[in-house]
Amino acid sequence: MVQQEAEMLDKREKIIGEDKILFEHIWKTGKGFYVTVSILGALVLLGLYAYVTQYRNGLTVTGLSRQIFWGVYITNFVFFIGISHAGTFISAVLRVLKAEWRRPISRASELTTVFILLFGVGSVLIDLGRPDRMLYAIRYAHFRSPLLWDVCSITMYLTVSSISLYLALIPDIALLRDLGGKREWFYRILSLGWTGTESQHRRLERAINFMSILVIPVMITVHTVVSFVFAMTIQPLWHSAIFGPYFVVGAIFSGVASVIVVMAVLRKAYHLENYIKPVHFNNIGIFLMAMTLLWFYFTFAEYITIVYGNEPVHMAIFWSKLTGKFAPLFWLHFILCFVVPLPILAVRRFRTIRRIVVASISIILGMWLERFVIIVPTLTKQRMAVEGAFYMPTWVEWSILAGCISLFMLLYTLFTKVFPIVPIWEIREGREKAVRMVSERIESYLPETDVAPQ
Amino acid sequence: MEFDRRGFLKIAGLTVLGLAAKPGWELFSKVEPQELVPSPETLAKKRWAMSVDLKKCWSVKGCRDCIDACHRIHNVPDLGTLKEEIKWVWTAPYENVFPEHELEYSEEDYRHQPVPLLCNHCDDPPCVRYCPTRATWKREDGIVMMDFHRCIGCRYCMAGCPYGSRSFNWRDPRPFIKKVNLEFPTRTKGVVEKCNFCEERLSRDLLPACVEACKEKALAFGDLKDPESKVRKTLQSRNVFQRQPELGTKPKVYYVL
Repeated sequence: MVQQEAEMLDKREKIIGEDKILFEHIWKTGKGFYVTVSILGALVLLGLYAYVTQYRNGLTVTGLSRQIFWGVYITNFVFFIGISHAGTFISAVLRVLKAEWRRPISRASELTTVFILLFGVGSVLIDLGRPDRMLYAIRYAHFRSPLLWDVCSITMYLTVSSISLYLALIPDIALLRDLGGKREWFYRILSLGWTGTESQHRRLERAINFMSILVIPVMITVHTVVSFVFAMTIQPLWHSAIFGPYFVVGAIFSGVASVIVVMAVLRKAYHLENYIKPVHFNNIGIFLMAMTLLWFYFTFAEYITIVYGNEPVHMAIFWSKLTGKFAPLFWLHFILCFVVPLPILAVRRFRTIRRIVVASISIILGMWLERFVIIVPTLTKQRMAVEGAFYMPTWVEWSILAGCISLFMLLYTLFTKVFPIVPIWEIREGREKAVRMVSERIESYLPETDVAPQ
Repeated sequence: MEFDRRGFLKIAGLTVLGLAAKPGWELFSKVEPQELVPSPETLAKKRWAMSVDLKKCWSVKGCRDCIDACHRIHNVPDLGTLKEEIKWVWTAPYENVFPEHELEYSEEDYRHQPVPLLCNHCDDPPCVRYCPTRATWKREDGIVMMDFHRCIGCRYCMAGCPYGSRSFNWRDPRPFIKKVNLEFPTRTKGVVEKCNFCEERLSRDLLPACVEACKEKALAFGDLKDPESKVRKTLQSRNVFQRQPELGTKPKVYYVL
């Protein structure tokens, strides 16, 4: 009996190895967890209450009007879909590029993608006047409508990124299964009989690589067609050919910033300092700086062509942003997206974890505002000056936004209660194989020395 | 075949899922009865259009006859706010409707005169392209139709229309209708609506309500394919313009000055 128990303990020790901390957030539930869950739960309930109010009374409870008929919800749609891009971008692109430092952060970023994408879709459904008829978009699908392009590409993206997330989870689920315990049956089903043999590893590797390559074009398509919702209309300042790439850049920009914040929170809350290290923040920080500049380049290109063209219809909207009633929001978004983050990210001395997180939060807020100042000002004057073009979001819209973000965080928190957030098998693979593989790879770049000169 | 508890639960679960699929599908995509419409062949013989004689229209100050007649028979609610206003026919100042007409030095100052506006029933209506469910479509006789029973309320058609001709029901409109006309459907909250060129009257050989209501005979309505029609006669001899023809939508409401 005693011997058996000792054997069990020994087996557990072996499975856990030196990565005890990566399992701990599943087993240990502290006071912090309950506090977080109750706060988030309360905000989710508030959002739910706001939606019920809207469902009963119609969209009249929002600040939207005949003139400005799209507002916070459509901003949220573009914003959330944007955030979702970074996760897969980071994990898939870095995998394809064989960047070894991706290992500890790949799952955290993929999970951000999958969960936030749900809220992107949800925001459009919340915006519908007749949500009870939402499936009409499939039943009577009209493929000339850019909204249908969105339906197709977002569905594809959600599928592909969920599969990627799951594939990379399988070996870790098998670890949890082998540890036994109350939830063993659950992990047993999900692990799909993974035993970690050489051939299983080979197949998994091949599947993950395939999905990583597949997800990159899908991701680009998704945000391109999201921008097409606006660019395909002939409304002033929406009808722009660079909206596709502009939105993709903005998406990766805001998404990478979100992943940085997620990383920082996880690192602190689950004591992952040893895994998510300053070097990770530094590397992503440099990438984020490149995105800041790229975003500025696109914004500049977008507006300079408008100004120089000087068409009255466009200029009316343009001036309402630069000096008119949207000026405070416009300049705030510019400061948050460019003026604040750029120096922090560009100067090596400033690139500490804390400052990078500050820059990221600034970018996230700035990009929400960016979506807002793209969508709303155009509607105030659609080719004809009108009365009553005024928009002030109501408590319903703010509560639903708060509810969406809280539910995202809640799902994320609950996920970490079931699965490890750092891919343990990938860390181990890095430890056991990658060092050798990378040095072999680097050697292959070098000129051959032992070949006799001819 | 072995049939343990797990197997039973699996099959039971799948069965429930399978059985729930159809009612679930139906719950979220209820089919509502279709209305009767004339056949495409009959319709294709005609192309409806309207002309607005602005001078005649301006001869009576503050006249709202066309607007009231239209809104009365089509159960258009009066919500009393700009925010949620629903309008099929309305007016806007000349200088806003036709900003491209340089008026700074013109002798007659009609800058602030009201121009009647309605759906242009374009030949190439942008709104039709954007609708994800085909709830709005162009009929063979050129009328841009709207199916209140298929509209999901995404408001993309409103973003597509360059003329601001579409209104959305932000709340249940029924309590705001003064006297319900039982011959025309009322709308629910959450759908888009707009002028239908009185297709329900045309099918009974009646003129659109606004045309009939105009005592100054400023509005002329007819078939563009018929050289003898009133609208063709008006367009022949006068200075005519459309709203934003440069957009290529080919509006079928003409303004005559």
